[in-house]
Amino acid sequence: MKIKKSNVSILLFVLIGVVPFAAAFIYALLYSFGVIGVANNGFTLQFWESVLASGIFFKSFLYSFIIALTAVTISVGGALWITLKFKKQLEKRFLSFIIYLPLAIPGVVTGFFTLQLFSKGGFFARISHKFGLITKASEFPDLVNDGLAFGILLSFVTMVMPFFVLLFLNVYKNERVEELSVLAQSLGANPNQIALRVFLPILIKKTWVLIVLYFIFLLGAYEVPLILGQESPQMLSVLIIQEIKQYDLDKISEGYVVAVLYTLIVSAAAIVLFLPKRKSAYAN
Amino acid sequence: MRINWKSFVLSLAVLLILFPFIYLVFLSLASEWRFPEVWPSYLGFKNWVTVFGSETGLLESFFSSLLISLSVAVFSTASGFLISKAVFYHPKKRILTLLAYFPYILAPVVFAACLSFFFLKMGLFGNMTGVVVAQFIIAFPYALLFFSSFWNAKVKSYEDLVATLGGNKWQTYTKVLLPLAKGLILICFFQTFLISWFEYGLTSIIGIGKVQTLTIKVFLFIKEANYYYGALSCCLLIFPPVVLLYFNKRYVFKKLV
Repeated sequence: MKIKKSNVSILLFVLIGVVPFAAAFIYALLYSFGVIGVANNGFTLQFWESVLASGIFFKSFLYSFIIALTAVTISVGGALWITLKFKKQLEKRFLSFIIYLPLAIPGVVTGFFTLQLFSKGGFFARISHKFGLITKASEFPDLVNDGLAFGILLSFVTMVMPFFVLLFLNVYKNERVEELSVLAQSLGANPNQIALRVFLPILIKKTWVLIVLYFIFLLGAYEVPLILGQESPQMLSVLIIQEIKQYDLDKISEGYVVAVLYTLIVSAAAIVLFLPKRKSAYAN
Repeated sequence: MRINWKSFVLSLAVLLILFPFIYLVFLSLASEWRFPEVWPSYLGFKNWVTVFGSETGLLESFFSSLLISLSVAVFSTASGFLISKAVFYHPKKRILTLLAYFPYILAPVVFAACLSFFFLKMGLFGNMTGVVVAQFIIAFPYALLFFSSFWNAKVKSYEDLVATLGGNKWQTYTKVLLPLAKGLILICFFQTFLISWFEYGLTSIIGIGKVQTLTIKVFLFIKEANYYYGALSCCLLIFPPVVLLYFNKRYVFKKLV
């Protein structure tokens, strides 16, 4: 029997795109219930109960959620303001190249750079010492590995905001927002009305899926919180890896419980985001 | 004289954007820069000479990263392009697309931690092949989704036209589909290259420190508090994408709408 070429492609898609994810999820699930694992003796709810009772997952999830939400809100807000105020200037040759440069900096470098600037022996601590604001390094405020996650937030915003500026500039051009704004103006709208009724709705409606996607990416970010985070609470990915890599064998199973919960949440988000048939951006 | 606030803000923004590049190069040239000195006691090419002398293995890491990223980019772009055709012409394409989003949306480091058992069993743990395979697994869904907009009714009608005129499958690809998709394929190649080039968490789990890419080196130098070599690794990591940007901005910016 001849096998259709498209069926071979679908089979390959399942093998590369679906099987690894399913295998990883099933493995984590079985480990979390004690069915597999070095010191585990069969099905038990002990690790789930332990994780849920300690509140470690919820604390880490809430911490990651707040950081990701704050970073995305500041980035999107800032990017919208920059697009609204500087769109014409950013089209000029020199600036149109410069604004792409932040995209060449990965998370690990952003984390390293922020650490170099804001740690107690860093660039700003040296400047503060020079100007007599501090007399020794320990007097410099905790801006990295700190409780308020200042370092993580700053890194996230500097990583994500440039992307959104470029995205909004593209949407502004492609959706002909300029022409629509001129039309609104000729119909008597003032600059505030143009910003709130034309500019914002179009840009947000065209990009909201990406905004949510970036929120999810930041929720699972690893490198930046690993360099700039604190001992407790930790962001989700850092917590999961720390638990899984522990010598305490019970902790490994608990790490997989957190991994399963995290996977379920992002998978549910993917279903909500991508399964419904997306209507045209301007349909009622 | 009235100062134009827009020019001021833009000049400040340009300075802020260029500052990391300048500071990292400066730090890579520095040595013995102790607190509270604002200027290092040594500034020169000592660190860079050491790198090219291969003492720290940084040059080796650079070429390992390059080899891994090129392999991941070639495999994921080629398979993404070929397989996406069947996926996006399939009657159940919405479900298939959703399935592709699951590995795309999950943190690579968590994915790798849950997959590490299978890599261990397959002998892919702690070697370069394993890292390439693991990175390919996360780059493939990206490449596949990247080509979703290419397979539309217009391209389908071109394919039908070639068939009507007597062309075979090979001719459809070489004379129509590949020339049409050339630009997209190039962008996808560079973006999957960058996904691999910037990857740390997954590489650290599957490579278990034995496969030392540049991102792994940055972390090692941070742990050793050797910030000068750390900055040097960062320079090696960020300047190739800057070169790509110089040639074409679209190689680095992923416009998904």
